[in-house]
Amino acid sequence: MVKGYLAFIFHSHLPYVRHPEHTQSLEEKWFFEAITECYIPFIRVFQGLEKDNVDYSATFSLSPTLLAMLEDSFLQERYVGYLSRLQLLAQKEEERTANDPAFSPLARMYRERLDYTSYIFNEKYGRRLVTAFRELLNGGHLELITSAATHGFLPLLGVQKEAIYAQIAAGVEYYEKIFGSIPRGIWLPECGYDPGFEEILGELGLHYYIMATHGVLYASPRPKYGIYSPILTPGGLAAFGRDPETSAQVWSAKEGYPGDYNYREFYRDIGYDLSLDYIGEFLHPNGLRSNTGFKYYSITGPENHKEPYNPQKALEKASEHAGNFLFNRQKQVEYYGEIMDRPPLVVAPYDSELFGHWWFEGPQWFDSLCRIISQNQDTIKMITPGKYLELGYPLQVSTPNASSWGDKGYNEVWLNGKNDWVYRHLHNAAKKMTALATNFPRAEDILKDALNQAARELLLAQSSDWPFIITSGTMDSYAKSRLMSHLIRFLKLERQIWENNIDISWLRHLEATDNLFPHLDYHLFQSLNETIAVEKDKLMGAV
Amino acid sequence: MHPSSREFLDGGEHLPLYYGEDQLVLLPRDPYWLFTYWEISMPTRQRLEFETQNKWEAFKLALRVHRFDMDNSGKESQFDIQINSFSDNWYIKAGVPDRKYQIEFGYYLPENVFQSLLTSNIASTPRDRLSDVIDENWQLPDWQARRLYWRISRINLSSMEILAKER
Repeated sequence: MVKGYLAFIFHSHLPYVRHPEHTQSLEEKWFFEAITECYIPFIRVFQGLEKDNVDYSATFSLSPTLLAMLEDSFLQERYVGYLSRLQLLAQKEEERTANDPAFSPLARMYRERLDYTSYIFNEKYGRRLVTAFRELLNGGHLELITSAATHGFLPLLGVQKEAIYAQIAAGVEYYEKIFGSIPRGIWLPECGYDPGFEEILGELGLHYYIMATHGVLYASPRPKYGIYSPILTPGGLAAFGRDPETSAQVWSAKEGYPGDYNYREFYRDIGYDLSLDYIGEFLHPNGLRSNTGFKYYSITGPENHKEPYNPQKALEKASEHAGNFLFNRQKQVEYYGEIMDRPPLVVAPYDSELFGHWWFEGPQWFDSLCRIISQNQDTIKMITPGKYLELGYPLQVSTPNASSWGDKGYNEVWLNGKNDWVYRHLHNAAKKMTALATNFPRAEDILKDALNQAARELLLAQSSDWPFIITSGTMDSYAKSRLMSHLIRFLKLERQIWENNIDISWLRHLEATDNLFPHLDYHLFQSLNETIAVEKDKLMGAV
Repeated sequence: MHPSSREFLDGGEHLPLYYGEDQLVLLPRDPYWLFTYWEISMPTRQRLEFETQNKWEAFKLALRVHRFDMDNSGKESQFDIQINSFSDNWYIKAGVPDRKYQIEFGYYLPENVFQSLLTSNIASTPRDRLSDVIDENWQLPDWQARRLYWRISRINLSSMEILAKER
């Protein structure tokens, strides 16, 4: 008998990074590493589960900027080059380690993984990984959801309702363009929520969103089941709260699984360990050392001494940890089951990019977990938020609490002494965009192109990644320059539009560079007050 | 120059410091703190200087912070923060979670009469604990509710925190 449900949410997002002006870009490498080490390993796990008829469920959010990068032919071409360089390195590594019984099996493992990656990316899906996700979506086990268009941190953009509407509507529309249906759920960037934008979420046909624990726990009226049942929000959506136990088990610095001594050590990479004569040609042309993904050691212990990585032992550990995770869920739902008059739902959201990339064995762990859940027991059942809502439990009506999953739980990561200056610019730009969209309701040709590009530049400036990176302090000059460039380009377009003096050749270069969301429609930024007024007029006319 | 380069696309331009528009914007940071930024445009400054025959630097500027009462029927309290003429943003220790706030930007006339120039949007501080509002149709027996909230908060917050907050 099912005593409780378990919903995994993997949130996948990268900011839109695309630099044709550089021969190689460190920032594009974030994306390439995520494809190789995270998205394709996940696809492999999901496909393996489907092939073996494992009754698993999971939810994958694909942020619109990530989708746009996966669909961009320039980045696909660059990834092909990146991957073939890694395959070349893999060959060299097999030769270099040929006589080393500890390392040569590892070099072979990496070579085989890269060959498989190339097969999936190039041959099976013709460079379009979204096809793999569409197949999985159709398979019925994986639920896909969207996020805000460029992952804007909505609570701090919310002074202009139009900015929130445009972020969410553009995200929903782009998802629909790619997958052919409206997503049921949305991942609010950084779980950033404010009751002020409930109405907008409801208007766009979404059924649910995911929140930080205290977003649901501190909802009002007080939620009877805490976070172990979703609540029904004023906008008519279901809000699902994050379970803190499942996140601690995976991410706690002290007792988290990824720190197990048998797992692969992230911080020992041949990009740092081998001589520049050998490895230099595989690093960035600026000569800086960086990760290659070839890592030969296990965590071993707290000291600097590291033993060679043993994949077999690590795999056994991953399956042991999966068993431990399931055991803890069984105990957890027993506990809450005694309190609740319905099976508790445990919602476990994670950043996808940490699986495979940082926790190398993470996808394997998830694979083992799905298999033991489907085979050896019937107390815990995996589910997606969408399927949970279909079970039809009545939901308590309650207004969630403003919150985020960032440090300290509210807005401070995105609003502090290092990055607070960005909001003056973001708010003014959004105000100007709404003025443009409202004043030019029926633009054509060049004017329309300029308005659409202005909307793109504003959305790009609004990414939560820029203030986040500025706070974290590494790569902050990149984040600042991206933010400022998009705002400068927006302001220049805005001026040219009002002055009826659009520099067409510059506009075309801008469109070719900041080229995400080709079908973006600037009307998304129209004043919401105006829209309501127009609709009322129509109503009056109809009467 | 590569047509996708910053040099070409940004054309050597910089972000403006200000937008030439009077504005006062209020944002919540967390249950206890607010952030505000503002702009008093040049024409407004010049008008005020002309009207009062005072240099802008000599104005006694202040933010007046209003807190709404619990059921939002009116403003229950206010306090002023004196600011200098070259600031353009401020962190405000609002202190009370789960409340609406609104601020005014203005200056003191002689005899400390506050003259308001700009009024902000309304911003709400988030709750930092369980809501006191209970729907009687959605209520657990007390001892069960304690078991539920205790375990959730054990990890998210320390149990001491939740117990302190419960009282």
